[in-house]
Amino acid sequence: MEADAVKPLAAAIAIGVGALGPALGIGLLAGKAMEALGRNPEATGPVQQNMILALAFAEAIAIYALVVAIIILFV
Amino acid sequence: MGKLLSSPKLLVIAIAAVAALLVSVAGGALGASFGLGFLGGPIPFISIPAERVAFIGSYQLLNSTVMFWFGGLILLFIAWRAGRNVKDVPSGWQNLMEMIYEFFSNTVDGVAGGTPKAGRRFLALVTTIFLVVMIINWVGILPGVGSVGRIETIDEWTHHHLEAFEAEVEEAHPSYNHEQVEAAAMVHLLEEHGDDTFVAFDGAIVPLGRGEQQRVPLNKIISFDHGDLEDIEKAIGDGDDLSLLPILESIHHDIETGVVKGKFAYKEGGDIEASSELLGKKVGLLVPYLRGASTDINTTLAIALVAMFTVQFWGFRALGVRGYGGKFLVNPITKGPIATFVGVLEAFGELTRTISFTFRLFGNMFAGEILLIAMAFLLPLVGIIPFMGLELFVGVIQAYIFAMLTLVFGVMAVASHGDHDSHAEDH
Repeated sequence: MEADAVKPLAAAIAIGVGALGPALGIGLLAGKAMEALGRNPEATGPVQQNMILALAFAEAIAIYALVVAIIILFV
Repeated sequence: MGKLLSSPKLLVIAIAAVAALLVSVAGGALGASFGLGFLGGPIPFISIPAERVAFIGSYQLLNSTVMFWFGGLILLFIAWRAGRNVKDVPSGWQNLMEMIYEFFSNTVDGVAGGTPKAGRRFLALVTTIFLVVMIINWVGILPGVGSVGRIETIDEWTHHHLEAFEAEVEEAHPSYNHEQVEAAAMVHLLEEHGDDTFVAFDGAIVPLGRGEQQRVPLNKIISFDHGDLEDIEKAIGDGDDLSLLPILESIHHDIETGVVKGKFAYKEGGDIEASSELLGKKVGLLVPYLRGASTDINTTLAIALVAMFTVQFWGFRALGVRGYGGKFLVNPITKGPIATFVGVLEAFGELTRTISFTFRLFGNMFAGEILLIAMAFLLPLVGIIPFMGLELFVGVIQAYIFAMLTLVFGVMAVASHGDHDSHAEDH
């Protein structure tokens, strides 16, 4: 295969596989946060705040994959 | 649904929203495939490094630097407005700044141990990082940032690139005279960048065509083939008079005029004749005057380095050189090889934290920029508005994460080792 033909494929695999882990992580995180909220609705503030912080960590990993995909495509 | 039908006001709003979305979809890239696409624009050139907008002496002024300064000015203005007329009962800007200060003061104390003033030493840097990152993220999505600029012609482009190649050739072949160096640099440039693509402009600043169709490879702007380059190289090696070489003269002429010279297929195996509409059009690269500072990796790396170096400083000041250094360099004889290995891992951890700081912010903001570009292409004018709201949210969340992580790493750095028993043995 030529390099130009492999490029989009490589970028697609990079972001596709790279987004799997963070997707699972975000799902688990939000699920656990909802569980915690259901048990203790008074703790909404701190739970929400920490959830968003942790979501951003998980999201950052997908963003790394996205950066790699972008670099593959455009550089 | 029944509620929607019973209230004429809600119904009108719903119809207006759906109509706006339909106009947006029809005007964008989807509509273009059905012959509509009246709002469509060409996809801008996506460049990962920041572009140079001006030279101040030999200093290259980048467009992201301009935006960073602009963000700094906004912060200065807010600080000036807040501190100009301080009152006991705050209002307006003073109220806003006091709110932010109070929020971070409480957060910092909470994370650093829970007692009042426990996190005093972290407060200044953490709040500064939050404010700076938030402002530069927000000014980066202002309209006009990244889409207004000037055209860098082929002449300017080759001029900048030739300089680097000339320095390279001069180093490799000190015996060459000026003409030979120039010619050899030109050969290197064409060999390496022959497939680089440029945007065809329709005389004015508006790019021609849509999407990929406006991208012209360099070897269709400057006509040359591989044999020509070999001829030039041979002439340089033989020491011939280079000014007599016709191909070199025609290359220089092509660079000066900078128009599309040859036909090419838009897609591999596509119709070559379709590109004849581009023949003779001016070519160049759009250099935006402004670019969001956090979409340049140098900005995020600089902020990450400031944060991580300050974390080390806090650690050394709180625990002393022996105490803080002892976290990384552990004596394998007295504490065992595993503790030494953990210390080395800890040292690597500091490095990877810097890198992940850098890429988290850069990746989020750069991806946001591309998301906006893609959405402006798919859902122009109307459909893009919610995504701008999303980017505002991402901007403040990323700033908060940057600040909180600096705080958490700082608190971890000033915490003493914990295993007091082994310390007691040392004494």
